[in-house]
Amino acid sequence: MVPKLTFAFVTVLATFSSVDALWPLPTSLSTGSTALRLTPQFDIQVDVKGAPSDLYEAVARTKTYLWTDKLERLVVGRGSEDATAISNAKYLSSLTISLADSAEVRSISEEAVDELESRDDSYTLSIPETGSDAVLKANSTLGLFRGLTTFSQLFYYYNGEVYTLEAPIQITDKPAYPYRGFMLDTSRNYFPVSDLERTLDAMSWVKINNFHWHVVDSQSFPLQIPGFTDLAEKGAYSASSIYSPSDVAHIISYAAARGIDVIVEIDTPGHTAIISEAHPEYVACAGSTPWASSANEPPAGQLRFTEPVVVNFTADLFTAVSKMFPSKFVSTGGDELNVNCYDQDSVTQGTLNKTGQTLEQALDSFTQATHGALAKAGKTPVVWEEMVLDHNVTLSNDTVVMVWISSENVAAVAQKGFKVVHSASDYFYLDCGAGGWVGSYPAGNSWCDPFKTWQRSYTFDPTANLTADESKLILGGQHLLWTEQSGPENLDPVVWPRAASSAELFWTGPALTNVTTALPRLHDVAFRMRQRGVNAISLQPLWCALRPGVCDLTA
Amino acid sequence: MVSFTSLLVLVVAVFPVRVQCLWPQPTSITSGTTALNLSPRFYIQPDVYPPPADLLAAITQTELYLRTDSMQRLVLGRGAYDMSAVQSAKTLSSLVLSLEPGATVESISTEAVKALGTRSEGYTLTVPADGSTATLKANSTLGLYRGLTTFSQMWYEYNGQIYTVSAPYDIVDSPAYPFRGFMLDTARNYFPVSDIYRTLDAMSWVKINTFHWHITDSQSFPLIVSQYPELAQYGAYSSADVYTPTDIQNIVSYAAARGIDVLLEIDTPGHTASIADSHPEYVACNQATPWSTFANEPPAGQLRFTDPAVRNFTASLLSSIAKTLPSTVFSTGGDELNINCYTYDNQTQAELNSTGLTLEESLSVFTQATHGALIAEGKTPVVWEEMVLDHNVTLSNDTIVMVWISSADAALVADKGFRFVQAPSDYFYLDCGGGGWVGDYPAGNSWCDPFKTWQRAYTYDPLANLTTTQIPLVLGGEQLLWTEQSSPTNLDPIVWPRAAASAEVFWTATTLGGGALNVTEALPRLHDIRYRMVQRGVNAIVLQPLWCALRPDACDLNA
Repeated sequence: MVPKLTFAFVTVLATFSSVDALWPLPTSLSTGSTALRLTPQFDIQVDVKGAPSDLYEAVARTKTYLWTDKLERLVVGRGSEDATAISNAKYLSSLTISLADSAEVRSISEEAVDELESRDDSYTLSIPETGSDAVLKANSTLGLFRGLTTFSQLFYYYNGEVYTLEAPIQITDKPAYPYRGFMLDTSRNYFPVSDLERTLDAMSWVKINNFHWHVVDSQSFPLQIPGFTDLAEKGAYSASSIYSPSDVAHIISYAAARGIDVIVEIDTPGHTAIISEAHPEYVACAGSTPWASSANEPPAGQLRFTEPVVVNFTADLFTAVSKMFPSKFVSTGGDELNVNCYDQDSVTQGTLNKTGQTLEQALDSFTQATHGALAKAGKTPVVWEEMVLDHNVTLSNDTVVMVWISSENVAAVAQKGFKVVHSASDYFYLDCGAGGWVGSYPAGNSWCDPFKTWQRSYTFDPTANLTADESKLILGGQHLLWTEQSGPENLDPVVWPRAASSAELFWTGPALTNVTTALPRLHDVAFRMRQRGVNAISLQPLWCALRPGVCDLTA
Repeated sequence: MVSFTSLLVLVVAVFPVRVQCLWPQPTSITSGTTALNLSPRFYIQPDVYPPPADLLAAITQTELYLRTDSMQRLVLGRGAYDMSAVQSAKTLSSLVLSLEPGATVESISTEAVKALGTRSEGYTLTVPADGSTATLKANSTLGLYRGLTTFSQMWYEYNGQIYTVSAPYDIVDSPAYPFRGFMLDTARNYFPVSDIYRTLDAMSWVKINTFHWHITDSQSFPLIVSQYPELAQYGAYSSADVYTPTDIQNIVSYAAARGIDVLLEIDTPGHTASIADSHPEYVACNQATPWSTFANEPPAGQLRFTDPAVRNFTASLLSSIAKTLPSTVFSTGGDELNINCYTYDNQTQAELNSTGLTLEESLSVFTQATHGALIAEGKTPVVWEEMVLDHNVTLSNDTIVMVWISSADAALVADKGFRFVQAPSDYFYLDCGGGGWVGDYPAGNSWCDPFKTWQRAYTYDPLANLTTTQIPLVLGGEQLLWTEQSSPTNLDPIVWPRAAASAEVFWTATTLGGGALNVTEALPRLHDIRYRMVQRGVNAIVLQPLWCALRPDACDLNA
């Protein structure tokens, strides 16, 4: 029994010296060691003239979290050792939020979908230890939203009291990179809208600001697009496994109110076998076998981009999709094009013979048509790295490139002068390590073994091998979940809290991140996620979570 | 669209000869291609006198699954193309259960906890295609329970109609191995009783008959032992994270009513740091650092087995727990003993000096004391392989050994003549592949990489490298979940449907023709049981895109 007391004492000391509560860590933070508790009547005052309704909604959600999180401190005793400090603590009765004098009052939802590099996520938050009002200020309602997110992570619960031990708290915060994302594939397996909402909530808690939605692929086409409804009608897994235009509008507004832009990806010209259900004549090698000759995974099938009718169809499709999504970004995909599929396709070969074009030239024409349609709709195209590194395709200078095959390819993309979003499979793929999934293959392992731990992604260097000028091309990065082996049943534990590691890396910046001090905070955000209904996985035995540092490699 | 139609024809043509619905596959089965509907007034009649209450409860549960599974067939159209056959199909209105002449009527719960090798799990099930009464017969209520489980997997639902397209069925079934288990560690992270109930349900659906409960370890001691309440009082994660004596009895009866025996493990003398929270004097190298010098994972801490007080305490602890449990088996653990911990422990060294015993001799004395206490309670001891392979410990001949470090060790255990359970980490560990979990180690990977897929587990040969005379020593096997990186939030998807793979390996063992089990044949059936689990509220993970699940073989490696 003696060891137990000693332990609690050590832990309390350790916790006072670091801030276990915040994720991502603010770029500038100072804290004290005074206890402060919320009054039962605690309120958030909105001192913003003509404040938008989504700001009021964010305030209401914040107040709810403060009282319903009921997160006990991750220390031995779970806060029982804080009881005396709490009972002597001053009360905080109010947080006042306001915009800088010069700021134009716009909604969070508008600001969240602004041009990526023009968004202002910054805020300052001040919580005196005296019990006088806490103050949150920003240049934008988006910044206020980020500050509210921070505020809601500061408090713990013990025996009916909501408190912090770290007043006074002074925070000046803004992200290191403008792009902090999460990608979800809803084609290999379908996810109901409620799963997307819950995921967007969790994303917002760690200040992720882009939902990269890989909505369709060769396996299914769940997106209902006005004017192209036959694609989902024939290509969705079922009549209920679809995203209707009103679902999409709902998801967009749900995301935007949480500071998140929705970047839709219609992967082309590969990964399109399912389009053949509605338009068999548009797709080469649809369902051809052996699939391994024509695709990286079953089923094979790629758009016949040599055909003018397919070029027009795809360009029109992007025009229609652009109308559904307010984001400035739309991704045309462009990964894993299988040349053999076209070599064996008589329609493609016949057209190439007739036009005298090479396959690459035809791909260039196709891409210019689809990207041209996007440009006309005011969108900036996003592509996977192969469009820059493997193909001779003319792209506009502002095209954003996602590097996925290997982090080693980032420098090559940057050397071509394109803006980059880090999405490297060797750091950020959440599906790796779960074994092979194709059938009749007992020896099959995950192609991107091993599993990417949070520590692995957290220690990624965003500017490795880049010159100072090339480093400026890095927009940020994201974790990605491909869903051959995921569905609603394991969505939360496979994503959370791992995807929070890139959120902090690209918000706080690599200069301020440290894997050893991060772990207690990552436990903290994972436990808070669970309290809020997201089934984040356990990173360690609870024994370790309650004893920071004690389960480290050399502890 | 042409391709769409032709695919359908193909699918319909293939399915009737390949019954997709049963897991584990019965050891003998014939089925037909006739559609048969289940009557809305369908009922199950027990021709068993007097019918035990748990048999009646199992019947009620089966009738409920039949009505609520709402499981659509995993084919394109999900059953839409079965409707014309269904419209002209006969209707089944009842299933009659009976015991073979001369069988003694005992409850499922009584049968489920009998000694391994003495339980009767076989049954015969006949479902005629003409709508006449289906019959289920067995030598025991436990066998009837297995047959009910099979029956409940036969049915699909489309548009309100519950039906099969594979009547008639004739099944004669019994398990190849007596031990088919699943192990859960509730010490690294705690699982509420409701999670254990749900897991027991899923286990019963695939005819797993042993819940190996690794209930305590160095991280926490959630078991409230009436005679030693201080262990959980100080060693549990919190006063809510405990299993009370009532919880234990409820879990044991919940399991038994589902044909499952509970094999409790109190791991000793290693993996016991949490005992130091209440009895610091009993534990050597408690929380010593660096932990890697004294233990395979933090925190370090092992029972001072050289100390007579510790020996008496442990024997008394095990016997006080064992006497509350109906099972005939009980595990004392015995894995990963760290010698260094004792080498640096003054008290241990002093006791060895004064007694003149070696550490190994002292370990044997300790083990004989703990096993003696269990044997006195009528229990058969179960140990991890090190107790046989790494230590000079005298064990009774009927001790059951669990092979975990490597499948290659099975033959070594067999050479020593012990009965054993196949639990090798290189096939059956469900936690492998989740990355490293110790802190401050970005390059850390899972010690037992890679992830063990269901296909890997399914292709395990339980008899590899064994002589013919050693074959009877193989009691069966189990998949295991160690929970450093698992908790209630991911329990279902990390366990299911993977743990069903060994359930079939040790029930079915070979194909109907006597050949090795075949992953290609199995995958559609595993999809089926996975989707049925989801329908019944277990969050089993998807194995493939739905596109593949609806098209058997289309996503095979060489398809």
